[in-house]
Amino acid sequence: MVTREDVENIALLSKLFVPENELDSLTASMQEIIDFADAINNAPSSEDGFDNINNLSNVFREDEVVPSYPVSEILKNAPEQAEDHFLVRNRE
Amino acid sequence: MGYIAKIHNMLAQKEISCAELTKEYLNRIESDNAALKAYVCVTADEALKTAEAVDKKIAAGEEIGLLEGVPMSLKDNMSTKGISTTCCSKILTGYKPIYDATVWELLKAQNAVMLGKTNMDEFAMGSSCETSYYGGAANPFNTNHVSGGSSGGAASAVSGNLAAYSLGSDTGGSIRQPASFCGVVGLKPTYGAVSRYGLIAYASSLDQIGPVAKTVEDAAIVFDAISKPDKRDSTCLGAKGGDTFSQLGNDIKGMKIGIAREYLDGVRDDVKEAVLAASEVYKSLGAEIVYFDLPVIKYALPVYYIIACAEASSNLGRYDGIRYGYKTEHYNGTHDMICRTRSEGFGEEVKRRILLGTYVLSAGYYDAYYKKATDLRGTIIRAFNDAFASCDVILAPTVPMTAFEKGHAVSDPIETYLTDICTVPVNIAGLPGVSVPCGFNSKGMPIGMQLIGRSFGEAQILNAAYHYQQAAPENFKDTKWGVKL
Repeated sequence: MVTREDVENIALLSKLFVPENELDSLTASMQEIIDFADAINNAPSSEDGFDNINNLSNVFREDEVVPSYPVSEILKNAPEQAEDHFLVRNRE
Repeated sequence: MGYIAKIHNMLAQKEISCAELTKEYLNRIESDNAALKAYVCVTADEALKTAEAVDKKIAAGEEIGLLEGVPMSLKDNMSTKGISTTCCSKILTGYKPIYDATVWELLKAQNAVMLGKTNMDEFAMGSSCETSYYGGAANPFNTNHVSGGSSGGAASAVSGNLAAYSLGSDTGGSIRQPASFCGVVGLKPTYGAVSRYGLIAYASSLDQIGPVAKTVEDAAIVFDAISKPDKRDSTCLGAKGGDTFSQLGNDIKGMKIGIAREYLDGVRDDVKEAVLAASEVYKSLGAEIVYFDLPVIKYALPVYYIIACAEASSNLGRYDGIRYGYKTEHYNGTHDMICRTRSEGFGEEVKRRILLGTYVLSAGYYDAYYKKATDLRGTIIRAFNDAFASCDVILAPTVPMTAFEKGHAVSDPIETYLTDICTVPVNIAGLPGVSVPCGFNSKGMPIGMQLIGRSFGEAQILNAAYHYQQAAPENFKDTKWGVKL
């Protein structure tokens, strides 16, 4: 059962605001999707397990130094920047 | 002959210059894109610059490669250096990557002429292209109908002759479903055949890039060009089944084509009839049809939505208004800034999937949903492996219906999710699947069938698709739009 409190908590974890007047409809919508997802709980328990598609295992390589992107390039897309850093103001 | 070979011959034999051809495509985009909305960004200057370089080579008597000078497009979730890449989301407004996706790097090195970036559901989340921030692409067979999604712009551009081919991405059917709706060929490669480097992530364990094309030959040529190992994507092994184009036309006598009965459940009658008629075509070509059961695929859809949303909720955590894209104007404190940016920047479907993903990963629900879904993923993989013990290729519908009218998908999320029922099992199992046009409904809308192969079995499914195309060319219809070669 998805509650209003669940949705408020999930929204907080997701860093999304849900306006008060949309909370009930979103809770109902989430409940509907969770009911749909609940179908998997009717499946027989599985012991197949899953790790990754092509059964790859981790390998290590030599730690080679390669050129990185210039700071000026990386900062080009930042909404705000100052002195070679991303700028995050506490207030607008 | 495919469109790529045709264009190649026209250029090599100097019937038309690459600049003239490119201008023709750009002119048609200018006139037809208002109706089709296939493109969200047109890169005319870059396209003409490449075209001129190709023309110089031809004038100098140099040989050109098969993809050289061929006008194409990329879905807007593939990074293109210095060129707007938005995933059709407000949150990536103005974003211009500082590097190229590997697939684009590979094609660019062959002087592919990129005409622009194609429309898509926001962050590839949708089945109609209508969650795009720019509004959805239209279906060239009837513009009152959707193109399908999420690679709706790619399918619309190819079907509407506004690109010779296009690259799409497929997480749960996003190449095959719009290809089916728009009457073109769409290949979702084996997971790990094509590099995802530079593909803006939706669900990393499911995403794959692949071609949308008018013919099977074109899809094979493009797949061969982009399926290379890439050390920047540790899951990418490249094609392991060899060059697919040279294997088209191999004999399919005795090939066992399997039909899982469950794939035909709940499918509209016209679609079912078209797929069964295709099985008769295969019989006449000497293939053997084998029926079998695959009961576990009834869990595929919830398994898909749980895994995809879980991965999306993590992947989309990066959009914070600090490093790139949209940032809210008014806020009070950092937490408030990030929450407002995300709430204003993401559309409804994206927010719904982030919330669902966060829910299934959160304490108390992780075991019941995410863990259970990944365990079932193992079961689905095993079921497909068992199925391939008795057949070589699986034949199924691509979508249970034909392209619906605009506005229909937006009203009911669950009903929209159900359109993915035939495509998601392939992503869950990491297998290759190709959608091929196999008929039309009474209103003239295309029907698609899907050929599913063993892991890295692209050559086999493309060859089976090629034989069908040769036997039933009437199902590969052109539309009135775009460039006529």
